[in-house]
Amino acid sequence: MTSDKSCDTKSSWVYSDIVKEHFLNPKNFLMGDEKKYPHDAEGIVGNPVCGDQMLMMLQIDKKTQTIKDIKWKTYGCASAIASTSALSELAKGKKIDDALKITADEIAEYLGGLPKNKFHCSVLGHEALEKAIQSYKDMLK
Amino acid sequence: MIYLDHAATSPLLPEVKHAMKKAMDEIFGNASSLHTPGHSANQAIEDARLKIAKLINANPEEIIFTSGGSESNNTVIRTFANKDIVVSAIEHPSILKPTKKYAKNCIVLPVNQQGEVIFDDDISADLFSIMLANNELGTIEPIQDLSKKVHNKKSYIHTDATQAIGKIPVDVKKLDVDYLTFNAHKIGGPTGIGVLYVKNGAPFEPLMLGGHQEKGRRAGSYDTISVIGFGVAAELASKPQKDLRNLRDLLAKRISEKIPHSSINTPLENSIPSILNVSFEAAEGESIQLYLDLEGIAVSTGSACASGDGKPSHVLMAAHHDAEVAHSSIRFSLSNENTKEDIDKVMEVLPKIIERLQKISTIKIKGDKK
Repeated sequence: MTSDKSCDTKSSWVYSDIVKEHFLNPKNFLMGDEKKYPHDAEGIVGNPVCGDQMLMMLQIDKKTQTIKDIKWKTYGCASAIASTSALSELAKGKKIDDALKITADEIAEYLGGLPKNKFHCSVLGHEALEKAIQSYKDMLK
Repeated sequence: MIYLDHAATSPLLPEVKHAMKKAMDEIFGNASSLHTPGHSANQAIEDARLKIAKLINANPEEIIFTSGGSESNNTVIRTFANKDIVVSAIEHPSILKPTKKYAKNCIVLPVNQQGEVIFDDDISADLFSIMLANNELGTIEPIQDLSKKVHNKKSYIHTDATQAIGKIPVDVKKLDVDYLTFNAHKIGGPTGIGVLYVKNGAPFEPLMLGGHQEKGRRAGSYDTISVIGFGVAAELASKPQKDLRNLRDLLAKRISEKIPHSSINTPLENSIPSILNVSFEAAEGESIQLYLDLEGIAVSTGSACASGDGKPSHVLMAAHHDAEVAHSSIRFSLSNENTKEDIDKVMEVLPKIIERLQKISTIKIKGDKK
């Protein structure tokens, strides 16, 4: 079948251009075995049975309490991939306490909006980061 | 664009489009009016009814026009409201929902991993509604055998033939069913028009009241243009079809060979030749679907992330009882328009998409788990 304008993904893709960009070229994701990525903290949320799961891994500078580097993996939809990618960009370089203040709304906003039924994807990313930072703090106790 | 989602809907066939355009210019009367414009609309509708009846070897008066498969399905179930109804677990929601709401007792038959209904000879009911071919797996159900069993119980049988029509021979006399549903848009006709076959003498309660159309069985002015389009599509579907099986099986073979951790969910030996359902372990279906979309390939998925209700495909859940299989599933559905080149293009991009999703996945591939 030949293409016509209505089938052109450039003009009518289901999500925003920013979601598309992060979906096509996700930032900071980890290919392959997470054991090969040395990290100071990790958080995993979601459940494959529900259709999405996210893992966040952080390298944290102990002196400055800053997120030096961040890597993630996900089993999830386009919005989950884009949300986690966006969050990793937002959190990188931030002090852990500031990173905790990033909200699900901010992630959605950064992506130029998410459809209502996909908003929970940004919540999930946020929760994974929170869990990772919490586990780091618990470790220090 | 390579369109591999014909089970969702198919583009209008050129002959159908031509007939509908012509009808738009020439036919405007209300088919129920006695004057000449009305009469010519009526003639066009009856001509279409003949073609549709012929496609399934029915008598024309056994064909009732509806707004589509969902209405036809609802109409049958509502005819048996407050009675005992047996359905399969993999029926379309337009069977499952009304049955759960209106039946006195609703019995849901399970399916095996191939999607084949597991019939229970001891069950009795007033109506049995089992689809002829499943929309997600493509599995063909043994309706001819089931009809015999159901009729021995002095019960009635309905089959939803929406996916089977035009793909395998559908003959109401051979199948020996009392009711049969199908629509136009799966065979290259327009959306918004379908039929319900009701065998002469079978019980019937109209869903839509307030007009004498369809002998009082379905009220509402005719959508003449769509009926005409449906007639042409039915006529074309009556002709011998190109064998899609080779193309479909080639896709299955190449996926199995080239993509690790993929599993074919469609029973290739017992399915309509147009559907191939595959799961890719650890790769989520909506992501696969949208990466393919960005490569100009349209498919569908059983993943909850792509569904309207946030739930994974009830068909794959019934067959596999494994949410991961459902979330990671992709359905390819072919038509006569598709070529070997389309399969080549899919195989150019799909292995890379799956590999990438598997590598960034939090789910460990089985066998790799330590």
